[in-house]
Amino acid sequence: MKILDRLEEVLIAVLMGAATLLVFVAVLHRYAAGWPIPLVQDWLLSLNLSWAQELCIYMFIWMAKFGAAYGVRTGIHVGVDVLINSLPDRSRRAYVLFGLLAGALFTIIVGTLGAHYVWSIGHTDQVSADLEAPLWIVYLCIPLGSYLMCFRFLQVAWAFHKTGELPHHDHGHVEGLETVAAIDINPYGMRDNLHPADIKPGSRP
Amino acid sequence: MNRPVSLFTALPLAMVALPMLGFAAGLPVPTPLIIFLLLFGLMLTGMPVSIALGLTVLTFLFTMTTVPITSVALKLFTGIERFEIMAIPFFILAGNFLTHGGVARRMIAFASAMVGHWHGGLALAGVMACALFAAVSGSSPATVVAIGSIILPAMINQGFPKRFGAGVITTSGALGILIPPSIVMVMYSVATNTSVGQLFIAGIVPGLVLATMLGLTTWYRARKNNYPRLAKASWGQRWRTFRESIWGLLLIVVVIGGIYTGVFTPTEAAAMSAVYAFFVAVFVYKDLTLAKVPKVLLDSANMSAMLLYIITNAVMFSFLMTSEQIPQVMAAWMLDKGLGPIAFLLVVNVLLLLAGNVMEPSSIVLIMAPIMFPIAMKLGIDPVHFGIIMVVNMEVGMCHPPVGLNLYVASGIAKMGITELTIAVWPWLLTMLVFLVAVTYWPDMSIWLPKALGMMR
Repeated sequence: MKILDRLEEVLIAVLMGAATLLVFVAVLHRYAAGWPIPLVQDWLLSLNLSWAQELCIYMFIWMAKFGAAYGVRTGIHVGVDVLINSLPDRSRRAYVLFGLLAGALFTIIVGTLGAHYVWSIGHTDQVSADLEAPLWIVYLCIPLGSYLMCFRFLQVAWAFHKTGELPHHDHGHVEGLETVAAIDINPYGMRDNLHPADIKPGSRP
Repeated sequence: MNRPVSLFTALPLAMVALPMLGFAAGLPVPTPLIIFLLLFGLMLTGMPVSIALGLTVLTFLFTMTTVPITSVALKLFTGIERFEIMAIPFFILAGNFLTHGGVARRMIAFASAMVGHWHGGLALAGVMACALFAAVSGSSPATVVAIGSIILPAMINQGFPKRFGAGVITTSGALGILIPPSIVMVMYSVATNTSVGQLFIAGIVPGLVLATMLGLTTWYRARKNNYPRLAKASWGQRWRTFRESIWGLLLIVVVIGGIYTGVFTPTEAAAMSAVYAFFVAVFVYKDLTLAKVPKVLLDSANMSAMLLYIITNAVMFSFLMTSEQIPQVMAAWMLDKGLGPIAFLLVVNVLLLLAGNVMEPSSIVLIMAPIMFPIAMKLGIDPVHFGIIMVVNMEVGMCHPPVGLNLYVASGIAKMGITELTIAVWPWLLTMLVFLVAVTYWPDMSIWLPKALGMMR
C-alpha cells in the first residue's frame, strides 16, 4: 500500500515537472531555430518538436486522472458543504458517507466505460495526430485513474466510518505570526465550508 | 430549532427524489428543472462538485435521453484535450514557486518605499504589493498567502490593529484573479470560447481601478484613525528596492508582453513563467532549496488535478445542456419577457453573488458561464466585458463567509476567527460592491484597452 501511495505521488509530480520543461524547451527551440548560427541552426531545424504540444496535453491528462485519485486521499476536492456542516453529527455522518460512496459509484462507472472504450480501440490501429502513439495507451489512464480513484473513495469512506475523521490537506501549516519564513499553505486545504467537517467536537469551521 | 434542522436534513434528498419520482410517474416535468434540481440536490449533500456534475450527467443519460451514451463518454476523454486548458496547471505551478520564493518580500519592500510615507503606511504598501503580486500570480488565495504572511506580522509590530491589517490583505488579495494572469479567466475562456489574451488585457484597467479604490479606502480609514506611517524613502532607496524586485517585476513583462506581442500563446507564457519562477526562486533569490522542489511540484499537481477534474465533468455537463438546448430555451424565454441588458446584468450579478456564498470560483464559472453566456450574447453584451463582470463577482465571493477562500487563508495567517474577520473586511467589501456596479454598467472600462491595442474590434 505504501508503495502504491508513493508511486502515485512520484508519477504526478514527475509528469508536472516534465510537461513544464517540455513546453519550455519547445518554445526555446522555436525561437532559437530562427537565429542564423551556422551548423547549430541546421541541427535545430532538423529537430521536429511539433509533437510537444500533444505530448504535453497527454501528460497533463494522465496527471489529472491520477492526481484526482491522490486528491481524494488528501481531501482536496471542493464541494458545497455549507448545509451539511450545520447539521447535527448523525445526519452529517450519513451525508458524508453518501457523498463518498457516490464518488466511488461515479468513478467505477466511468472506469468501466473507459475500459470498454480502450478495449474497443485496442483492436484498431488508431494513433494520435502528431505523436503517432497508439490511442489505447493514451486513453489507458481513464480506466486506471478512475479505478484507483474509486479505491481511494472506498478507503476514505472506510476510515471515516471507523474513526469519523476525513483527510485534511495540511491545514495546520501556517507558521503563525511569529515566524515569517516557510509558509506552506494550501488555499484549498483549509477548514472551510468547501469541505465536510470531521465528526469531532470543535471540528466545524 | 428542531423543526428547521430536520427540514434542512431532508432538503437535498427531496430535491433529488422529487423530480425523479415525477418523471417516473409520467408527469410532464420540464427537463431543465429535473437537471437543475438533481444537480443542486446532489451538490447540497456535500459531495465534491465534480462528482455531482458527473452523476447528474450519467443519471440523465441512463434514464431520459436519446443522446447516445458513447458520444458523451467520448467527451469524457476529449473534454480537456485542449492546449489552452493546460495554462491552468502551469499558472498554479508558477504561483507556488513564487509563493515560496522571496519575490513577495521584495515586492513589499519596493511598495513600502514608494507609498509607505502616505497615510496608511504599510497597509497602503500591502495593497500595492498585492496588485504587483497579482500580476505574476493567477490566484487570489495565493496572493493573500504570499503578501499577507509577510506584511501582517510587520503591520502588527508597527501598531496597526490586527483587524485593519487582515481586512486590507483579505480584500486586496482578491486582485489576484482580476489582474492578469488569472486562472478564473482561463476557466471562463474554456467555458465560453472567449480569447484568453483579450480577457487578460481587459483585466488590466479594472484591476488598477480596483487597486486604487481599495487604496483610497485604506488611506481614508488610516487618516481618520491616525495609524502609523513610514518615514519617506529617498529616491536612492526606491531605486535599490526596485532593482532587488526586478526579477519578479520582469515576470509581468514576460507574461503580459509575451501574450500581447504574440511571442507566446497564453499556455506557453504560463509554462515560461513557471520555469522562470523556478529559476528565480532557486537560483537568484535562493529562497527555495532544490530539495523542496518535489513537494512544490506535488502540491501543484494536486491542486491542478482537482481543478482539471471539475473541468472534465463540467465540459460533459455543458455538452448535455447544449444538446438539450437549455441555454437557448432560457434565452428565448428571457427575451420574450422583455428583459433588457440592464435588468439581465442585475440578475446575473445577484445570481453570481448568491452562488459565491456556497461555491468556489472555478466551479461557479464552469457551471454558470455556459448557461448565462448565450443569453448575454443574444442581448448584445460583449463576451470579454461579460467575463470581467463574472471575475469581479467571484472576487467578492472570495472575501465573505461562508466559503470565501481568501477569508479562510487570512484567518489562518492572522489567527483570527472568521466572524471577527468578517467584520474586519466590510469597508473594503463595500468598496468592491461599488466597483462591481461600475464594472457592470460601464463596459468601456474593461474593453477600452484591448480595443485601443487593436486586439479586439
